[in-house]
Amino acid sequence: MAGRTAVRAGAALVAAGLLAALAGAPLVELARIAAERGWRAAFDALGSAQNLGALRNTLIVGCAVTAVAVACGAAAALAVERRPLRERRLLRLAVAAPLLTPEFVLGFSWSRAYGPAGFTDRYLHVQLPGLLGPTGIIVALSAHALPLAYLVVAASLATRPVGQLERAAHASGAGTLTVLRTITLPLLRTPLLAAAALVFVTCVNSFAIPEVLGTPAGFSTMSTLVYDDLNLSADPDAFRQLAAVALTMAALVLVVIGAADVVLGGPQTAEAAGRVTSTPSAVARRSRTATWTPRVLVTAFALFAAAIPLVVLAADAITRAPGLSPAPSHWTLANFSAAMAGETVPALARSLALAAAAAVLIPAMSLAVVATGPRVRGPLGTAVTLAYAIPGSALAVGVLIAYGRWFVGSALIILIAYAGKLWALGHRPVAAAAARLDPALTRAARASGAGPLTAWRAATLPGLAPALAAGGALVLIFASHELTMSSILYGPGTQTLAVVVLNQQQLGQTGPTSALALVLGIPPLLAGLALAHGRRTAAAANATSRRPTTAAIPVTAGTA
Amino acid sequence: MNAHVTPSSCRPSTRGRARHAALLALLACLALIVAACSSNSSTQPSALSQSAASTAPPSLTLYTSVTQNTVDSVVAGFKSVHPGASVTVFRATTGAINARLAADERTGGVRADVIWGTDPLSMQAYAAQGLLRDKPIASPTGIPTQYETNALYPTRLLYVVIVARKGLTPLPVSWSDLTNPAYRGKVAIPDPAAAGSALAALGYFATAPGYGMSYFQQLKSNGAVQVATVPEVVTDVAQGRYELGITLDSEVRTAAAAGSPVQIVWPTPGPIALYSPIAVTTATKRVAAADAFLDYVLSSDAQKRIAATGWQPVLPGIAGPPIPAGVVPVSADWPSLFGQQKALLQQYQALFGS
Repeated sequence: MAGRTAVRAGAALVAAGLLAALAGAPLVELARIAAERGWRAAFDALGSAQNLGALRNTLIVGCAVTAVAVACGAAAALAVERRPLRERRLLRLAVAAPLLTPEFVLGFSWSRAYGPAGFTDRYLHVQLPGLLGPTGIIVALSAHALPLAYLVVAASLATRPVGQLERAAHASGAGTLTVLRTITLPLLRTPLLAAAALVFVTCVNSFAIPEVLGTPAGFSTMSTLVYDDLNLSADPDAFRQLAAVALTMAALVLVVIGAADVVLGGPQTAEAAGRVTSTPSAVARRSRTATWTPRVLVTAFALFAAAIPLVVLAADAITRAPGLSPAPSHWTLANFSAAMAGETVPALARSLALAAAAAVLIPAMSLAVVATGPRVRGPLGTAVTLAYAIPGSALAVGVLIAYGRWFVGSALIILIAYAGKLWALGHRPVAAAAARLDPALTRAARASGAGPLTAWRAATLPGLAPALAAGGALVLIFASHELTMSSILYGPGTQTLAVVVLNQQQLGQTGPTSALALVLGIPPLLAGLALAHGRRTAAAANATSRRPTTAAIPVTAGTA
Repeated sequence: MNAHVTPSSCRPSTRGRARHAALLALLACLALIVAACSSNSSTQPSALSQSAASTAPPSLTLYTSVTQNTVDSVVAGFKSVHPGASVTVFRATTGAINARLAADERTGGVRADVIWGTDPLSMQAYAAQGLLRDKPIASPTGIPTQYETNALYPTRLLYVVIVARKGLTPLPVSWSDLTNPAYRGKVAIPDPAAAGSALAALGYFATAPGYGMSYFQQLKSNGAVQVATVPEVVTDVAQGRYELGITLDSEVRTAAAAGSPVQIVWPTPGPIALYSPIAVTTATKRVAAADAFLDYVLSSDAQKRIAATGWQPVLPGIAGPPIPAGVVPVSADWPSLFGQQKALLQQYQALFGS
């Protein structure tokens, strides 16, 4: 089959070329600038108190959030995934709410809700101690990342006979703790480690929450340091130092991912997720505590982490001026019109155009990876995931150096960064669907006389279409509120919506910022609802026909 | 695990053609999006050619850290004087403009024709890098010459003052009072790496007798907190997060007029006056348009607009916002501070950095 080989080779060339251009070249350029004066000078520059402090802060935040989010996320998954199907879906959405809320919106609304002079402080005289500072960053990021850990563990619960084995152990007289220690945790070792790596990478990548909650306390992480250092980057020394910090960030996550990979034994992805071998909810224990504890805790979490802050945002958005109470006499819609003045509407259109372009491009790029055939597909998929792990700040600075001069005054440079960073989001569903396709179909089509292209279009594409759409939707959601990379790459006439919101927040315009944050935050939540609904209908269809399902698409991460 | 393929989809019939059409539509869509994204760059060549034809309306790109409503009003005035003029405005904090210029220089050169800044120290730093053109226009009569340098023209005066939350007693009287233990943890200051006026205030205190960098040391040990920008200081005080802050008079007036519980304190020895300079870049290929914009900003029409949006104009005879009787502004010897911006920031960040 010479035709097939040629197609596969071509696809491999395209995919590898894209990876090199979107992730490789930026990193190489970053290294080139960092080491312009030699590696020795780069290391010396890195050793400044400020840089070491940021590295230390990043590690502290990363480790603490990983511990909290994975422990709580796994506990929540173990409790919720045993509930009956209908209740499980509602609870899942409640858990996912803080992940669907853009990071900036979460950080800003938390500071307005629970911070000093925030709503709970003014009206209940309680505030979250240390919200502005490391404690607050850790708590807020934990809430943002907990759903990630939850999703990873939940996906693995669907494919492992955890429930049956636990019941067997209980029946044999083992206590709850013994079961947890000897059955549950060993069975979940792999997903827990995978979740830990994912959460850690998300923390290092995180920019908006440390920027909003850390700046007033003078607490900087590596991503906020890169952003702040850009202000001083006219100085070539400062710029080299910035490149060195960015490179260190990238190295840090790649080391963690690499280590996780070694421990997990090779590039194990969630591609086995389609194999549903058990429905753990079927025979749940029915004690009252087991019924009500997850309900109460999950509802409290969603209220505290997402619902209350969003209500506070809404109150701020309709209040005339900062410092006034949200009483009806102070209500106004002026903040919305002020928010929509100037650059906002063009920025909104630009963000949507960029997100739409990324949502079309990325599934196409993923098709190229899938078309390389089963053997090359795996390693390429791993490389795509690694590109996702590169922190947004580092990737953006690299893209700026590598491609800045060719995209003068154009938002296309932001699209390049999105394509590299968000590729993995669009790729995962497509790869999972491709792994489930039966190669016999293509063979049958070819045997019936179809050419390779016709056979692919007839036998392969229909099987991939839902996954392509799901991948595109994920990319659309996350690209439309991306902040970390846009805030570094925007220029005159190329602001994205999230950049406009950040600038307004830094100018202290609480009302318009809140109004825009709502514009930024509500659509992803609605999209989440829609996706959940879509999945429900898919699952319903699945119950009647025996089609493979894309039920366990891992929503991999928030990037704004 | 079999993917089901319905028999109809194996037939390369009408459905295949339909899908083909869909693909074409998708590609067309993508091309449109790409065109939309790059619209900015595609308009530039045509704008470039305009400078050749002197009759064409002026078109320019302006980088500025001046307050949005002031920029909007002045640009609107410029357009009414030059019908058909187009001005691409990149408005951001001084820090973000520094970052923009640095990125521009690494990616093919500065794209602004005019830079309108907040403070003389940042603008002089651009001049020292060779980014600004010497003597682009003849200085209009009446513009105070003591502020003029080779490249910079003053456009308005800004006063750095103290903002206090309404009802705070006792109110501070002098700048030094902000280090009083009575206000421990209650003072917000703007970030001089982000806000030009904060950099100017840093320059004033660093060289003023009786203050020096130890003033910031004392602020820090009294629990003063650094926030990002000058307006954010006012917002945080209005919301009650802090009781006092260092900010600009105009920002406090605007917030108070909207109903926020804040007031201006004019501290002794005086509010810190700084001038907001404007300059033409050396990179501009639209010299006539850039010069026309400078001429306009220094005209009495634009100066009135500057006054109407809350700032003290530089042209004599145009009244700005009132200053209480007896208040005498203080100022730094700006030229003596030129070249020291980086050192000042480093000393400051050793105190207020992370």
